[in-house]
Amino acid sequence: MKAVGARLPRYDGVAHVTGRTTYVDDVRIRGILWTKALRSPHHHAAITRLDASKAEALPGVHAVVTHEDVPKNVYGHLEALGIPADEPLLAENDVRYKGQPIAVVAAGDEDTAREAVELIEIEYEERPAFFDIRKALDPDWPQIHQWGPVYPHFGPHNHRRVRKGNVDRAFDEADVIVEGVYRPQAIEHCPLEPQTALAVPEADGRLTIYSCTQAMYFSMGVVAAHLEWPLNKLKFVGGTVGGGFGGKVDTATETICALLALKSKQPVKWRWTREEEFLASSTRAPWHMEIADALTNDGWILGRRMLTLHDSGAYARFSPYGVTKHAFHHTGAYTIPNVHFDGYVVFTNRVPTTAMRGFGVTSVSFAVETQMNRIAEVLDLDPLQIRLKNANRIGDTTANRITLKDPSTVPVVLAAADRIGYDLPAEYRSMTSDRRSGELLPEHLVAQLGVEETSGNGGGR
Amino acid sequence: MKLTVNGVEHDVQAPQLASLLHVLREELDLTSPKAGCQQGGCGTCTVLVDGEPRRSCLLPLAAVEGAAITTVEGLGAADELSPMQAAFDEHYAAQCGFCTSGFLLAGTALLNGSPGATREEVLEALSGHVCRCTGYVKIVRAVEAALHGEVHPERVEASFEPEETDVLIPGSPA
Repeated sequence: MKAVGARLPRYDGVAHVTGRTTYVDDVRIRGILWTKALRSPHHHAAITRLDASKAEALPGVHAVVTHEDVPKNVYGHLEALGIPADEPLLAENDVRYKGQPIAVVAAGDEDTAREAVELIEIEYEERPAFFDIRKALDPDWPQIHQWGPVYPHFGPHNHRRVRKGNVDRAFDEADVIVEGVYRPQAIEHCPLEPQTALAVPEADGRLTIYSCTQAMYFSMGVVAAHLEWPLNKLKFVGGTVGGGFGGKVDTATETICALLALKSKQPVKWRWTREEEFLASSTRAPWHMEIADALTNDGWILGRRMLTLHDSGAYARFSPYGVTKHAFHHTGAYTIPNVHFDGYVVFTNRVPTTAMRGFGVTSVSFAVETQMNRIAEVLDLDPLQIRLKNANRIGDTTANRITLKDPSTVPVVLAAADRIGYDLPAEYRSMTSDRRSGELLPEHLVAQLGVEETSGNGGGR
Repeated sequence: MKLTVNGVEHDVQAPQLASLLHVLREELDLTSPKAGCQQGGCGTCTVLVDGEPRRSCLLPLAAVEGAAITTVEGLGAADELSPMQAAFDEHYAAQCGFCTSGFLLAGTALLNGSPGATREEVLEALSGHVCRCTGYVKIVRAVEAALHGEVHPERVEASFEPEETDVLIPGSPA
């Protein structure tokens, strides 16, 4: 335990302060080609014509790639979990978000690549765009995704659901019902290093790919799937990420560089502009969350009904996973014995959304904690006391049927109260995570208690 | 055209309107200035032009003829860090490191030009630089440590003292 509490030098500190850290863009390979993309100017349109022959003929252009050049164009980030593919690497018959890539060009310099993109002939037939996730289940919802308005593959359901206890009875027995609607919006990760990859064809037929990905083996699998190659023909070099925050989990540039490098037989780099980052890189999702809580006048939460709409953007990517994590956390750090949760992954004409710092959980934490304050306000009770009262304790069973052994709600709330000098009555200050008894075990929490835990240390302060 | 970078004179072949950033990175292989936004907004491409911090992505080559350019490669090598470099290392002011070159050079210009700078002047000097990892607290602390001459290269020691967090965040209400 020599490292805990010690001020150790960063292993990469000196490299950072001497400018020697090698990000993808800093890898020096002679004779690289530069990439530019034709991206959709429309939120939603059919592609009625695509002809890249003039771009291919431009002097200085070494390769143009469209969907026809991709061995397996349509891919799904969750295919390994048995979920079908839905997203084309390069658009085929339609575009579903502004900035969606349609064709890519590799040329000797960026200006030539840009000029070639201008020469690609394309015609669109614009379609109505859809952005308001609250209207996803309306009958006049415009068709965007081949799967319909929402992701349909949560087992037998078209939404992630959690059911526990008897939520109708909880609402019948409630003294007060408190409702809240919470709508955190999209956030761009905005790493200082834009999406960048460099693919180098090797003499033995393999490809070396320098990548800024946060997920090396995942990205390797994505490239191999698109190319229909075995993994052992790919060598990935990475691990040095100029900021990611979740935005470099989706594979954005590696596959395109690989395809252009194979077609041109030259090393190919794709470094996004900041405009591309904001236009076409994935973001944190917008969410719409509706919570209704059944409460007693003295602040017990008897039951919760919750509806979540998650804006997946134009394709599924990891959104079903994010909503599943979200569902696990919909009671927050509190024990609510009767719940009814429905979470929908809604397709819109936004750029696809993805992981960012607590994927799926930050949204629900924001909603739950704001709801706790709202409950305190409506009941005219202390917001920290309400939290401590309903806090998870040893032996409590969560909505997804996990009996807790070491919950940390009580010590965390008490530590926070300490730090801000918050005055709490003695009976709250002395609370621990110990198994419920006495006044902390009202009738509605008896049935949810799990088997006796003997190994717990109390989880106290 | 002749360009003096880190004390070395180079014959540069790029056209007059090529950006200084492009010339440094692609012709001279000096990769510490980064192409973060290439529109003057983020500060990662900052270099010193005759001692002044400037955005190399917005500077055409023609505008720096005869000037002396400094990049982080010209500050100090790993075994002889400049005070600003040592302070950034000591205070963990670099996380992913991508913005670090720009902050280092802005801090170095401040140290050379106004070593008695106040907190407000430090924030002003760093205000054109974006860091998405650190939240700026450690960067401001590092620059102030260098300004005050409080840099300790030998620093591997146990310390359980909580760190002070009294630094104003650029852009936050005072």
